[in-house]
Amino acid sequence: MVDEEKLQELKERIQTAKSTNTPQQKTKKESGAGFGFKISTEIIAALVVGVGIGLIVDKYLGTKPFGLIIFFIFGALAGFLNVYRVMRRIEKQ
Amino acid sequence: MAAKGEKHSPLEQFEIIPFTRTEIGGYDISFTNSSLSMIITVAVITLFLTLTVNARSLVPTRMQLISELMYNFVAQLLSDTVGDNGKKYFPFVFSLFMFVLIGNMVGMVPYQFTFTSHIIVTFALASVVFIGVTILGFVNHGIKFFTFFYIPGVPFYMHPLLIPIEIISYLSRPISLSVRLFANMLAGHTLLKVFAGFVVAMPFFTGALPLVFIVALTGLEILIAFLQAYVFAILTCLYINDAYHLH
Repeated sequence: MVDEEKLQELKERIQTAKSTNTPQQKTKKESGAGFGFKISTEIIAALVVGVGIGLIVDKYLGTKPFGLIIFFIFGALAGFLNVYRVMRRIEKQ
Repeated sequence: MAAKGEKHSPLEQFEIIPFTRTEIGGYDISFTNSSLSMIITVAVITLFLTLTVNARSLVPTRMQLISELMYNFVAQLLSDTVGDNGKKYFPFVFSLFMFVLIGNMVGMVPYQFTFTSHIIVTFALASVVFIGVTILGFVNHGIKFFTFFYIPGVPFYMHPLLIPIEIISYLSRPISLSVRLFANMLAGHTLLKVFAGFVVAMPFFTGALPLVFIVALTGLEILIAFLQAYVFAILTCLYINDAYHLH
C-alpha cells in the first residue's frame, strides 16, 4: 500500500515548504495603486448614488436645482463615511 | 498583425459580437461571445470540480488538492466573517467566487472574451448580492431592519442629516462592488493590448522590451484576477454579516 519511507519524505517536504512559505503569506500587502483605487471607487459610488437621487428628486418634485445640490453633498458625505468604514476594516485586520 | 491599414484599437477586445440574432418581446437575447465565455466558465468549473473530486482519495492528488483548497478557502472566509450563520450561504458565495475567479482566468486566455470587463455583468452580479442581502435583512429583522440606518448615541438633531447619508452609503454598495471588479479587468486588459501594440510599433529589436513587460503584466493580471474574485467574495460575506447583525 503506502510506502512508509515515501510518506516520511513527503512529511519532511511539507514541513520545509511550510516553514519557508508562512512568513511570505503573512506580509501579503496591497500595492499603493490598488489601495487608492479601492478608496476612490467608494467615494465615486456614493457620489453617483447621491447625484442620481438628486436628479430624480428634481425631476419629480420640480425643485431644480436644490435636490441636486443637497443630495450631492449627502453623497459626498456618504463617500467619506464609506472610506472611514474601509479604513476601520483594514485597521482591524 | 495589422495588415493593409487595418486599425486595431486596444478596446476592440471588449466588443460584443452576436452569433445569433434572437429577440423575444422586444428584448435582445442574442447568443454573443460574452454568453459563450460564460458558458465556457461554467463548464470549466463544473468539469474541474466534479472530475478532480471524483476519486475521493484520502491522500488527494494535486488536482483534487486544488479543488479542496478552493472549498476550504471560501468556507474559512465565511466562518471568519459571518460565523455559524454563514454555513447556509456557502453554496451561493462559492458559486459567486468561482464564477468571478474562473471568468477572470478564462479571460486571461488569449483571444478569449473577458465577460467581467463589462459593467453590466458585474453590476448584475452585485445587484443579486445587494437585493438578496436586503431581503435577508428584512427576513431576519422584519421592519426593524430600518434601524440599520439609525445610529444610536447621536444627538437627535443630527438624525435628519445622518439617515440620508447612511441610506446613500447603503445604496452605493452594489455600485462600488461592481465598479471595482469591472474597472480592474478593463484597465488590465487594455494595458496588455496597449503594450502589445508597442511590440509591433517599435523599431528593430527594441520591441522585445515591451514584450518582457507584457510577460510580467500577465503575471500581475492573474494575481489581480484572483484578488478581485476574493474581494467580491469577502464583501458579499460582510454584507451577509450586516444582514444578521445590524451595527
